[in-house]
Amino acid sequence: MELVREALAEHGIQGELIVLSDGESAIQFVHYLDAQSGKCPDLLILDLNLPKRSGREVLECLRQSAACGASPVLVLSSSDAPEDRADAARLGATRYLRKPSRLHEFMSLGAIFKTMLGSATH
Amino acid sequence: MPSAILICKARKLMDISRSKPPSDASFAMSDEADQNGLALYVQPASVIDALEREVELRDFVENAAVAMHWVGEDGTILWANRAELTLLGYSREEYVGHSILEFHLDGPVIEDILRRLKSNEELNAYESRLRCRDGSIRDVSIHSNVYRKEGRFVHTRCVTLDITERKKTFELQNRFAAIVESSDDAIISKDLDGIIRSWNRGAERIVGYRAEEIVGKHISTLAAPDKLDEIPNIIDRLRRGERVEDYQTKRRTKDGRVLTVSLTVSPIRDSAGTIIGASKVARDITERERQEQLLREANLALTRSNEDLQQFAYSASHDLQEPLRVVSLYGELLQKTFGGKLGPKGDEYIGYTIQGALRMERLLSDLRAYTKASMPGKHATEEIDAGEILDKTLVNLRHVIDESEASITRTDLPGLRLHEFQIEQLFQNLIGNAIRYRSSVPPRIHVAAALRGTEWLFSVQDNGIGIDLQYKEQIFGLFKRLHSNSEYPGSGMGLAICERIVQRIGGRIWVESEPGRGSTFYFTTPRN
Repeated sequence: MELVREALAEHGIQGELIVLSDGESAIQFVHYLDAQSGKCPDLLILDLNLPKRSGREVLECLRQSAACGASPVLVLSSSDAPEDRADAARLGATRYLRKPSRLHEFMSLGAIFKTMLGSATH
Repeated sequence: MPSAILICKARKLMDISRSKPPSDASFAMSDEADQNGLALYVQPASVIDALEREVELRDFVENAAVAMHWVGEDGTILWANRAELTLLGYSREEYVGHSILEFHLDGPVIEDILRRLKSNEELNAYESRLRCRDGSIRDVSIHSNVYRKEGRFVHTRCVTLDITERKKTFELQNRFAAIVESSDDAIISKDLDGIIRSWNRGAERIVGYRAEEIVGKHISTLAAPDKLDEIPNIIDRLRRGERVEDYQTKRRTKDGRVLTVSLTVSPIRDSAGTIIGASKVARDITERERQEQLLREANLALTRSNEDLQQFAYSASHDLQEPLRVVSLYGELLQKTFGGKLGPKGDEYIGYTIQGALRMERLLSDLRAYTKASMPGKHATEEIDAGEILDKTLVNLRHVIDESEASITRTDLPGLRLHEFQIEQLFQNLIGNAIRYRSSVPPRIHVAAALRGTEWLFSVQDNGIGIDLQYKEQIFGLFKRLHSNSEYPGSGMGLAICERIVQRIGGRIWVESEPGRGSTFYFTTPRN
């Protein structure tokens, strides 16, 4: 997603950004990593409302995965519903943030990405 | 028959009585005796016996408990006994010697009576009405015939029976019978063995049997097959003197249809208070029940469609927000990346795009709040502190508060058993409005709560532009606005959301205002 890339760039975060367009491909990606004993990305950003398979299913799959079980997951959703927050926490999301509507707010997400990346590498 | 009447002074009675009377005579003292003398009839014993019988007979008719009188051929009352005078309340002088026509209420009736008697007819239980001395009317039944001597009308022999009470009772019975007969409900009576004893027309209409078909049959004839076991139970309750009220059950008609009826069954007691049976009123509620069922279904469908609609509005506003966010975010990104490179018009248009998208987002967010406020949610079980929610709301509003230099004061606020979003929406919209519709001076807003009986009365008072009170109802309508968006931006949903919330929690909301001086919005919430 272009905005995420912008936010990363704005905070000088270098690296590869893998974009998966639906829940199904995210789950396949995790399975692929597990099968190949691959390394999980340093930060996973997940929307709850995804095509094919929901963000909840992806979250569950991530937490059961050998490769990604311990990786930080940021749920970035447009929902502000307490149930969604509670669900995400229960399923093992590291953080839950509501998608900002204003650009400056979105860009400031970069700082959070950075913090989460930092905690992952240490 | 030989007889002698001796009249002598009392003192000499002894002398006479001492003298031996003739063997076929006896003495009798006349009732005409007075203190000065004594009339002494000396008559043969047979004559004396006859006289005694006459006295007895006269005493009998005079003092009998039955009212009697004689009327002459011309209608004059010749004689009346004590019972007759007592019945009507007249003295002998006021009655005897007067025409019988004076005492009958209906002229044609007494004329008919006299005409019949003159033509030798005997009257039996001829009903008439007599006027008493006190003005009251007595219903009477007259039995009369004529005493004639050598074919000549001497006088009537008339017995007057007072039937006033009987007639009243009869009329009352008739009235009750008419009520029972004309009732739309089935009214029947049964004895304690369950045998049907009476059956009105309503019962015939509802159940189909005619009285002659069903009276004498057992009440179970009417029970629906699966309700047969109820009957002994109802009869047992009646035996104990209980009343069965508005008992809904099923009954079978003559043609086999099953009806839903509401029964009220009451014990019938004899004059000694012993329960001898039951009266039963059955109302056919089949149609009512069908209507109620239809109403319930319609209501359910309506609730469902309402919920669907709310769910739809909620989801739609949620899903619409996502692409809108893309528009506003990329609009801003466009502005950031290419701002100044597209010329003044380009910058202006991008600005409109972003503003439009942000406004739309605000509308959708309010629409979501409105549908959320309308949804039948669970009641809050825990108490939350309204003061804390106010703090939180003020943090949300800090930009506009700072920008407008608003000062906000408050009283102590209570704990409320409401959902957080409900209180938050109320404060956010009411305080937000107080700031938005400010006058030229910085807003001063006071939030207060006071206990009023069983509810809390909240108020949010401001020193803003105020509201013309002709709009005091209209402002709570959905999308109702009194100003253009360029004057005062807003979605027109804030107060509608507040009203919805307050209605959901069983409170009220209203405004008091003076244009140019400020407004106070009030709302009430139940005190937990």
